[in-house]
Amino acid sequence: MDERRAAILAEIPRLRRYARALLRDRDSADDLVQDCLERALARMDNWRTGESPRRWLFTIMHHLFVDQTRKTKRRAEVVMLTLDNSEALSSPAEQAESIASREIMDALQAISPERRAALVIVGIEGFSYAEAATMLGIPAGTLMSRVARGREELRGLLDDVARRRTIRMVER
Amino acid sequence: MSQRDFSERDVHMALDGELPQDERAELQAWLDASPEMKARSQRFEADRMRLRETFATVLDEPVPDSLARVVTGEAKKPSAAAPRWRMAAAAALLLAVGAGGGYLAGMAGLGREAQARDELAEEAIAAHTIYAAEQRHAVEVGANDRDHLLGWLSKRLGLTLVAPDLAAEGFDLVGGRLLPAGQKAAAHLLYEDAKGNRISIYVTPEGAEKAKGIYKDEEGAASAIYWLDKGWGCAVVGTLPQDQLLDIGRNAYRQLLAGAGMA
Repeated sequence: MDERRAAILAEIPRLRRYARALLRDRDSADDLVQDCLERALARMDNWRTGESPRRWLFTIMHHLFVDQTRKTKRRAEVVMLTLDNSEALSSPAEQAESIASREIMDALQAISPERRAALVIVGIEGFSYAEAATMLGIPAGTLMSRVARGREELRGLLDDVARRRTIRMVER
Repeated sequence: MSQRDFSERDVHMALDGELPQDERAELQAWLDASPEMKARSQRFEADRMRLRETFATVLDEPVPDSLARVVTGEAKKPSAAAPRWRMAAAAALLLAVGAGGGYLAGMAGLGREAQARDELAEEAIAAHTIYAAEQRHAVEVGANDRDHLLGWLSKRLGLTLVAPDLAAEGFDLVGGRLLPAGQKAAAHLLYEDAKGNRISIYVTPEGAEKAKGIYKDEEGAASAIYWLDKGWGCAVVGTLPQDQLLDIGRNAYRQLLAGAGMA
């Protein structure tokens, strides 16, 4: 296996994490990674010498994600519901998740895809604003504001969940 | 250096490691003087930690073989396009999401090995399932406007589409419609026999793959006979006995190829 393929192979865990944070569902996330890898291999010529394979691959995957979210706009509305019913909806693979993890994953899915991508790529993946802005193809100022708004929105949703839980406890 | 004015923007920058080193102590002093902003900053920090911890375990999961094989070149063939995304869209339609989460549950239940041909067959079956059951709105353009229908669909698909003559099998054209197939377009032609049995012909421009086969929907009723060749895909779908459907499919495919000048 040549060096380039080995470098791509080494990035798969990171790509999977990014995809999982974007989509939550494991199978859908792995499909996104698979599409990203296929596209990357088909376009190896576009990979400039010296460019970090990570940034190159994340850029490809982000574009695929954006295409996908355009196709499935209804997702947001469905996932919003899971904030209320998350217990009933957990699939077997998700049962091992702690309540705290599940809440934050639900909340992350409920914020807009643009803000989610910005928050994840900076907050979880640890890219700098400049790197993230380049990968997402937006000005640094826009990126910053998406990260900030995303973080605020996430906190707001988690506050709502906590409030509802408090109300339920009081009702008992 | 005199203390500059800070704002919530700086709180975010500090969290993301974007605040210059020499301003961090000043920001901390500013936060100490503003309990409300400090509490907010701490909640953001805690959320950031929680997000990182929640997804950290993904890095420790073994890489699925299916993904590694794409890179090592051992995959049988790359699937032409987003395997489950497109199916997810079809599933969302079919499941008629009512209870929240039906969409996600539907996606999780779909097979892992979905590939271009499965996709073609799935989409063709989805189209058949939805439209063959329609009485008044089964087609967008009826067979009485055949020339317009075929001219329109040919133009949108970028190939010369004919409506195969299936009179020998007892089926007449009802009409057709244009459907989305991922980023591309697909044509759906509906036929009916004297007993009211319906079959569908589904045609879409579909990558470079070459395959043919029979695909049976797990749900039961409908089967799809499909071909992927010469840059396009075709499926004949129905609930007829398989031998009969196969005969009709072969006949239809021959006529489609001839009509498109690919025979």
